[in-house]
Amino acid sequence: MGQLALSGVKKRFNKFEVIHGIDLDIRDGEFVVFVGPSGCGKSTLLRMICGLEEITEGECTIDGVRVNDLPPVKRGIAMVFQSYALYPHMSVFENIAFPLRVEKLPEAEIKERVMRAARVLQLESRLQQKPGNLSGGQRQRVAIGRAIVRQPSIFLFDEPLSNLDAALRAEMRIELTALHQKLKATMIYVTHDQVEAMTMADRIVVLDGGNISQVGAPLELYHKPDNLFVAGFIGNPRMNFIPGTCTSVGPEGATVSLVTGGTITVPVEAPRNLEGTQITLGIRPEHLSQAGGDLSFDVVPSVVERLGVNTVAYAELDGVGTVSALLPGSSPVAPETPATLSFVAADCHLFDAAGDALARKVDSSMPIPDVATA
Amino acid sequence: MMKKNAMIDRYRWWEVVLMYCGIFVFLFFVLAPFIEGFLVSLKPLGLLFSTPYKFLPENGSFKAYFTMWESVPEFGRYIFNSFFISSVITLVVLVLVVPASYAFARISFRGSGTLLGAFLAVNMFSGAVLLIPLFRLMRAYGMLNTYWSMIVPGVAFLIPTAIWLLSTYMRRIPRELDEAAYVDGANHFYILRRVILPLAMPGITVVAITTFIGAYAQQFIFALTFNSKTEFMPLPIGLYAYFGRQEVIWNELMAASFVGIAPAMILIFALQRYLVAGLTAGAVKQ
Repeated sequence: MGQLALSGVKKRFNKFEVIHGIDLDIRDGEFVVFVGPSGCGKSTLLRMICGLEEITEGECTIDGVRVNDLPPVKRGIAMVFQSYALYPHMSVFENIAFPLRVEKLPEAEIKERVMRAARVLQLESRLQQKPGNLSGGQRQRVAIGRAIVRQPSIFLFDEPLSNLDAALRAEMRIELTALHQKLKATMIYVTHDQVEAMTMADRIVVLDGGNISQVGAPLELYHKPDNLFVAGFIGNPRMNFIPGTCTSVGPEGATVSLVTGGTITVPVEAPRNLEGTQITLGIRPEHLSQAGGDLSFDVVPSVVERLGVNTVAYAELDGVGTVSALLPGSSPVAPETPATLSFVAADCHLFDAAGDALARKVDSSMPIPDVATA
Repeated sequence: MMKKNAMIDRYRWWEVVLMYCGIFVFLFFVLAPFIEGFLVSLKPLGLLFSTPYKFLPENGSFKAYFTMWESVPEFGRYIFNSFFISSVITLVVLVLVVPASYAFARISFRGSGTLLGAFLAVNMFSGAVLLIPLFRLMRAYGMLNTYWSMIVPGVAFLIPTAIWLLSTYMRRIPRELDEAAYVDGANHFYILRRVILPLAMPGITVVAITTFIGAYAQQFIFALTFNSKTEFMPLPIGLYAYFGRQEVIWNELMAASFVGIAPAMILIFALQRYLVAGLTAGAVKQ
């Protein structure tokens, strides 16, 4: 079993509070990804769950047992470090066997369990080599092997793929997902890479400055972000935010007058008192098109990136800043050539003056077909 | 065709000549006493005071290397004493310094910075300044005229440098290794033994060599002050045996000096094998 609960967890370094009270329940067998910009406290939170950092306040329970004062092993936790942390003077076999040697298990059982882990990770032919002779991906697999031999109920990963090159990272992502399906253990994974978060997670926890900004399934975060931070963080290129004023609220949604000119009625559940307040409209780059829509605005792209399958156009807009549009690969956009971008009301997100999202009238459980992100 | 060096390593002929001249001057400056000492050891005693003085020996021989054992029969014992005292000092220092350095490098405790500073401050006093209080201490504990009178102060004065050297080295071992071992259930002693010690071997070797050399060099003053028994005399004092009432047997004295250094040299060359660079390759992503 690997059910984990955090309640009111805080972390202070001297007087400086970095985690401001986290409440989170993680179900057994779930793959949860902590994601956020650097310095948001995601690694610190992971190290607190692990037992490498003291929990200043609050409680961490695993399977109903309070583990605040237990060492990592007693918590039934294994961790894979960002930097692999392999013992360079030991062979791959000894590296994987290390936790079992600490436990003083009989030699035969050590051998059997290491071999089983090596089989899962395809390291059988490397067992006698030293980590120094392995490639980055193999080293990472050894580090994972050291975690799985102990058969923990919860795995912690601290940005395990961040030092691999892009191709290897994609490969390891698939391997890790397969490993999760095979082991059926709870996994908590820290990353700043939203592609890793979106592809691997059952649920994503978005952290912002030591607080949980939103918890949800990947597509839920994509389609129904709770606030400006999550909206801007999930999705690449980042969501465009256009400031405006709410002019009227009706049963069909809120009508917004934008600084770029024009008004649009967005299907959201808006409260009466929204009328007349400052509002931010969010529209994802992939929802901007040149094919026409409910509202259009003119831009002069300054940079155009052609990625083959997609084309990304960037333009400066007065009162908005940089606007990006993800267009089909063969789009006839060119730098310094005026273009018209349009979008439909149903794709829009609305955020009130405090930055909180107004509930959209779309069903996020049904993925809306859209252009694949690069 | 000659193999060409990389651009950054290419020099004109006169640059190469200048470099070798520089190397020669420097080496000569450092080695001149040894060269002269060696030449003296080859000369017969009578020739040493000839005028004009000749640096190169005429009809030189290694005779002094044999006669030295007859003039001072206990000389072997002095070499053994020196070697023994230095070895014990090195062992004791290592046993004390390895865990101490691990603590300074890895465990944060109140006053660790102050303590390290204090060690450095102790190092600023040479043993000579503290001879009189040391003598009283030795007398109080009954250690005068024993091996301990040379070992104990030797250890005390060599510990600070050793701690500074080794804790700096241990700090360079990635912390994630300790953390990974801790997460896997190892305690501090297990981590020190299975993870830190093997990786710190080059650092420990450096500390062992410097401590051994230090012990060899500093035992003179302690032996002179705290010991008057011939059988415990180390090499530097033993050399005085070649100072006769009438004359000093210079050639044998020089020969004895070289013979005396030999065991230490052999040990240091043997230890050098462990100074392997790049032992931590593959530990963490760099």
